[in-house]
Amino acid sequence: MKSAMLIGMVVAIAAVTEPSNGQQRTITLPNETATYVASQLPGYQLVQRNCAGCHSAHYVAMQPPSSPRAWWDATVKKMKKPFGAPFPDDDIAAMVDYLVKTYGAERTAAGG
Amino acid sequence: MQTRRTFLRQAAALGASGVLANSAFEAVAGGQDRVTLPFENGTRELVAFPQKRPLIVLTSRPPQLETPFSVFNEGLLTPNDAFFVRYHWSGLPLSIDPAAYRLRVTGKIDRPLELSLDELRRVATPAEIVAVNQCSGNSRGHFAPRVNGGQLSNGAMGNARWTGVPLKAVLDRAGVQRGAVQVSFNGLDQPPLGDGPDFVKALDIDHARDGEVMLAWQMNGAELPFLNGYPLRLVVPGYFGTYWIKHLSEIQVLDSPFQGFWMASAYRIPDNSCACVEPGTTPSATKPIGRFPVRSFITSLQNDARVPANRETVARGIAFDGGQGIAEVAFSSDGGTTWSPARLGTNHGRYSFQEWTARFTPATKGALELKVRATSRGGETQPPTASWNPAGYMRNVVETVKVVAV
Repeated sequence: MKSAMLIGMVVAIAAVTEPSNGQQRTITLPNETATYVASQLPGYQLVQRNCAGCHSAHYVAMQPPSSPRAWWDATVKKMKKPFGAPFPDDDIAAMVDYLVKTYGAERTAAGG
Repeated sequence: MQTRRTFLRQAAALGASGVLANSAFEAVAGGQDRVTLPFENGTRELVAFPQKRPLIVLTSRPPQLETPFSVFNEGLLTPNDAFFVRYHWSGLPLSIDPAAYRLRVTGKIDRPLELSLDELRRVATPAEIVAVNQCSGNSRGHFAPRVNGGQLSNGAMGNARWTGVPLKAVLDRAGVQRGAVQVSFNGLDQPPLGDGPDFVKALDIDHARDGEVMLAWQMNGAELPFLNGYPLRLVVPGYFGTYWIKHLSEIQVLDSPFQGFWMASAYRIPDNSCACVEPGTTPSATKPIGRFPVRSFITSLQNDARVPANRETVARGIAFDGGQGIAEVAFSSDGGTTWSPARLGTNHGRYSFQEWTARFTPATKGALELKVRATSRGGETQPPTASWNPAGYMRNVVETVKVVAV
């Protein structure tokens, strides 16, 4: 145990005193696979257009299925103000309707 | 670069024991690329992001990745490639030139600074601290009634050895002026479009100058993984991860409290002693989230695990709190009717995971409820039933693992 600890300390100190590696660090994020559940509701097209610019569909899909209409309404409005999503106010009602009927408390057995 | 062998050595140095290593803690559904967390709508993908092993994907854009709970039984230090990731905005940097990187210090100071990474490393003798980072919303998915937001199980936490310089040394170099009350911190990540609020956090001036808050460039002896804030992040021991700004690029000393969205409107808890309210109600007053409440987990046994009847089993786990340190851990194998003290492992400082072990011998075959309850040196302990708040923060109920003696 004692020698293991010494080795660990030596590794840490060596790494601290090493001159910084000047190479550019670049990452490539994995391809996005999450998509919104297809629906005949008009909000389906609007959500794809208005939400995808900022975040993956996971933000919607992971919410508790009990999430009520009032929460979806408040959240869509929060995305516009203060979060800055530039969609028109006229889109909000249809977006909320699609979200609550597809992912939230107003889901039906057949889905949105 | 840290190798796996390096980590194992460090884990050994921390006295981590791999006793009773179990298979994955989350039920695997439909192959190795998915897990189901133990709450409704809890199925998640496992995906390997850059410099990471496959982790639980909460959201892919921006990346929010949860550590599979089995990792916490591998050792007291959470490996860099398994450490959780949390961003707020998808406008995160994807390429950083360390030679061009600068940390700017501005505001109520005598000498504005613009430090390269090499200059920053020479501001003071590098220091190390072992400290837990935990997301404010860790365990939110377990709230009842459910709370909206990131639906995390218990894996948005990790324990690492951080290397850097004290923030105090940088502030002293800049010369903080009289009348300074807070310090704000900004990183390179940005809202992707529109005029959303940049993710900026603030600490009170005395906290910022306590000598423990650190500007860190390494975790566990290796450079920060890109998604954990390369090349520099704020380390705020004992405080929730919301303050641990990644890709830290701008420090501003302020003569009035910072009023940005992420302090004034978000990351707030009920302003009372339990940070809780009656489920479904709204707190009358709130304050910014701060230190972790005390928590403990069993890591060596999962729900539905089988243990031998009439033979001794050693349970193992972790405990931590917001910086008092862990005084004692109690263990129960009868659903909380009787408790006995667990044995504490080596102490690695008051901000680290504290290992504990406890022995129990089931007298008969059948179901057993194992519980663990930690108490801090400040006397704070864990509640037997979960308290609730509308943002789903600060969960620290006594955890239960249901096993079967056979």
